[in-house]
Amino acid sequence: MTYPMDTGQDCLRAWEAMPWVLQESASPEQSEWLDYHLVRCASCRAEFEQQTRLRIALSLPTEIQLDANAGLKRLMDRIDAPEREETPHRLRSGSWLTRGLVAAVLVQAIALSALGVKLWSINDAPAYRTLSQVSAPVAPGSIRVVPDASMTLTDWNALLHSLRLQVVSGPNDVGAYTVAPTNSTTTTPQIVQQLRTARGIRLAEPVVTP
Amino acid sequence: MNEATIDADATDRMLLQRMSTGDRVALSTLYHSYHGRLCRFLSRLTRRTDVIEEVVNDCFWIVWQKSGEFRGDSRVSTWIMGIAYRCGLKALRQHGDEPVEDDALSDDRAPSSDPDEDRELRDWLSKGLDRLSADQRVVVELVYGVGHSLDDVAAIMQCPVGTVKARLFHARVKLRNVLPTLAGESPVMKESVS
Repeated sequence: MTYPMDTGQDCLRAWEAMPWVLQESASPEQSEWLDYHLVRCASCRAEFEQQTRLRIALSLPTEIQLDANAGLKRLMDRIDAPEREETPHRLRSGSWLTRGLVAAVLVQAIALSALGVKLWSINDAPAYRTLSQVSAPVAPGSIRVVPDASMTLTDWNALLHSLRLQVVSGPNDVGAYTVAPTNSTTTTPQIVQQLRTARGIRLAEPVVTP
Repeated sequence: MNEATIDADATDRMLLQRMSTGDRVALSTLYHSYHGRLCRFLSRLTRRTDVIEEVVNDCFWIVWQKSGEFRGDSRVSTWIMGIAYRCGLKALRQHGDEPVEDDALSDDRAPSSDPDEDRELRDWLSKGLDRLSADQRVVVELVYGVGHSLDDVAAIMQCPVGTVKARLFHARVKLRNVLPTLAGESPVMKESVS
């Protein structure tokens, strides 16, 4: 901050002291010093005269004449009727709050309903299986077989027929079929052995059920 | 703080304490004690009498309700003026902060028996204050009109003392340059803010 003083530090000090000397809150030493300075500085003396006039002007009764008794009566009426004054406000704000909450609940309900309908209609099996999830039941003695890509359908059918097997599922993503024996005269290890030795079969493994 | 101020504050505190127990006579006494100075203070913010009237009662409505919560960190007058200042700013936001034309005051002006000298002084002051911002007018009123310290004004306006000093400084510089002209004199000093 810069001060409008061009006559030295004393004028700066006088400028700062004036309001407090005028309102008689300055120390006696500060007041005496200002008096001393004003005697010697015409510029500060003129400023102080104007400040004094300003203080007198600000001390005049206000132009605005309001009836204190009427104002007090209105205040008392307001105090006497706090419920009347506050209640509509509370009701108004309460009704806005209630309307807002109801709208929010409705929007949530609609959104949840739409989401439920959508999920229900999709009904897709999940693309994953958790470790605790029970896998689809597999018939006893089932065997997982991966035929070679070059194996013809005729050869595949002939092989299944000769071993009395039928496809119960597959092929899966890696081309594996699950086959199960149509009779119980031959044991699974024997069938697996026969499959492994058959032409065009790349893999044959018994399905182990937990 | 002089003795008169201390005595006045002690009286105000006693009235507040009584008000906190629901004493309406105390409220009435405090209301009358502050009505004039609040009107004058608020007239530095706005010239609208309806707004001033509303703000005075809003202020005392709060004082009545919070009288039991006054902690005594400041003088009662500082506390009440602070409430009035905030109520005034709020009212200005609601009503617009431009003062109405002087014509609107014609019915509320002081009687015409006012001495000519006073009327002239009022006009001089009014024209000078018109050159200031609302915050500068408030600081000038609080320091020169009411006699508050910088700390008090900072508490009332809820701002740092440095801000009050700056507002007072700029207000004084403006007034120093315009008031002599308004009084028909040439300015005492040229502003030499470097």
